[in-house]
Order: sequence, then structure tokens, then C-alpha cells
Amino acid sequence: MVAMAGKPFFAQEFPSTLEAMRETVDSAVKALAERGWIGPAQRYYARLCLEEALVNAITHGNKSDVCKKVVLEMSDEESCCRIRVRDEGEGFCPDNVHKPPADALGGRGVYLIKCFMENVTFNQTEGCLEMVLPRQAPSKGGPSNA
Amino acid sequence: MHDGSIVSFREDEGIAVATVEAASVLDALNVDQFGKEVQKYVRGNRGIHLLLDFQKVEYLSSAVLTELLRIKKAIAEMQGTMRLCALTKEIRKVFEITNLDQIFVIDHNVETALPRYRRALQVAAQEETWKQLHEES
Repeated sequence: MVAMAGKPFFAQEFPSTLEAMRETVDSAVKALAERGWIGPAQRYYARLCLEEALVNAITHGNKSDVCKKVVLEMSDEESCCRIRVRDEGEGFCPDNVHKPPADALGGRGVYLIKCFMENVTFNQTEGCLEMVLPRQAPSKGGPSNA
Repeated sequence: MHDGSIVSFREDEGIAVATVEAASVLDALNVDQFGKEVQKYVRGNRGIHLLLDFQKVEYLSSAVLTELLRIKKAIAEMQGTMRLCALTKEIRKVFEITNLDQIFVIDHNVETALPRYRRALQVAAQEETWKQLHEES
């Protein structure tokens, strides 16, 4: 796997619909596996984080307005894959997302991303949510980083 | 499962077993259908004891976790109970991280879940009988 650092190997723009979201997630997970970023053990958690990020962009960022677009980009870096999700909303600070109560009706999406990805941040310059996927590292599987 | 539904229901000696048959992926796209099918069945069966079987589900997202909490609430309002079984180890991990394993009783599979569920219901019924006797005496 050789690629320019930072150059996206996957870039997809789609309308704010759940059908388009699922198609994009399917393609993105396939691309991650083909590039060697995930193996069978990481597939579930990669899919989960991608879906949670894209659903968050559709529902919270774009308020489910089908005229607004979501962009997913994934880039090779030296020892990790950087994933960026851009919507047309105002953005949010992942640091302000904490573990929700067990019986809360919602609020788990970004928390789960923080559990299974590294360096989950909102890039103010580019206006996108960023997360880092280490190459086939065992999933952290815990809220220690959340 | 020829009507487009994704959950099948069967009765097993007082316990309703709901098996997610037609979707290995439960996500934001089909969670509404999943929720509607289960809630419709629940609403028609006051006092239901529901075992939700996920043996054919390979993936579920946080939207489904929220829907399970809604179903549990609806069942409680109908004086029923609910348990889950056959979660993959990945799904189980998500339940643990979100502490939902403390909200739901989760068994390994239908075969082990059914006798345990029945036993728990028997114990609960006995406790209720003793409670009533105690109140009357």
C-alpha cells in the first residue's frame, strides 16, 4: 500500500439521506479493508464509527435537508488513516460529548466514535469532524479515551 | 418472511420469541421498520414476555440501541418483560461500553435463554404470590 500522505484514497459526496449514507458506508468499509486499514476484527467498529459520524452529519449538521451534502474523505498517513466528515452545519466540539446515562434515548453516536477511534476532533479550519484509525490496531473497546 | 417484514414472531410456552430474520445489518436506515414491527406486536399482547433473538444480526448501530430502550419502555407500560439473546461479541462489547448490559438481561442463545427466562418468571410469580399472602395476613 503506497500512497501520498494526506491524499484521499476515498472521497465521496452524498445527499443527506439514510439510503445514501448506507451506500457510502458500504463503499468506505470495503475501501478500508482493501487498503489494509482494517481486518475482520476491526470491520464492525469501523462501520459503526463511520455510520455514527455520517448519521450525525445528516441529522444534526444538515438537519436532514436532502439538498445539503455530506462529504466523507479517507486519507493514508504514515501509520494511520485519517477520516474526515464534512457537513453544512456549524460543527461541534467532540470534547463536550460525554458518556450518556445507560437509559438515555440517544447521544451515544459520538461517544462510540470516541471509544473506538483516536484523536476525534473538529477541525475548525476545514470545518469537518476528524478521526484517526490506526492500522489494524486492536479496538480500544473502552471509554478510557472518551 | 415473505411480506417484507424483518422480524418473525413465535410463541414458546408463554414467551414470545422475536427473531430478526431478514436483516444482518440493523442501522439508521431500517431501525424504524424494526421498531414498528416489534412495537406493533407488543401493543397487541399485554403482559408479554419478549425474547429478542439477534442470532442473524451481524451489525447494529446506536440507533438500534435507542429503539431497544423504547421497546423496553413500551413493554413495561404493558406490564411485560423483555430479554435479549445471541449478540455477537462485537455487539456485546457495544452494550458493555454503553452500560446497556446493565439495563438488559442478555443470554448467549435462544436455547439457554428460554429456560432461564421461564425460571425467572416462575420466581417472580412466586414472589408476587408470597407478597400477596403476606399483605392479606
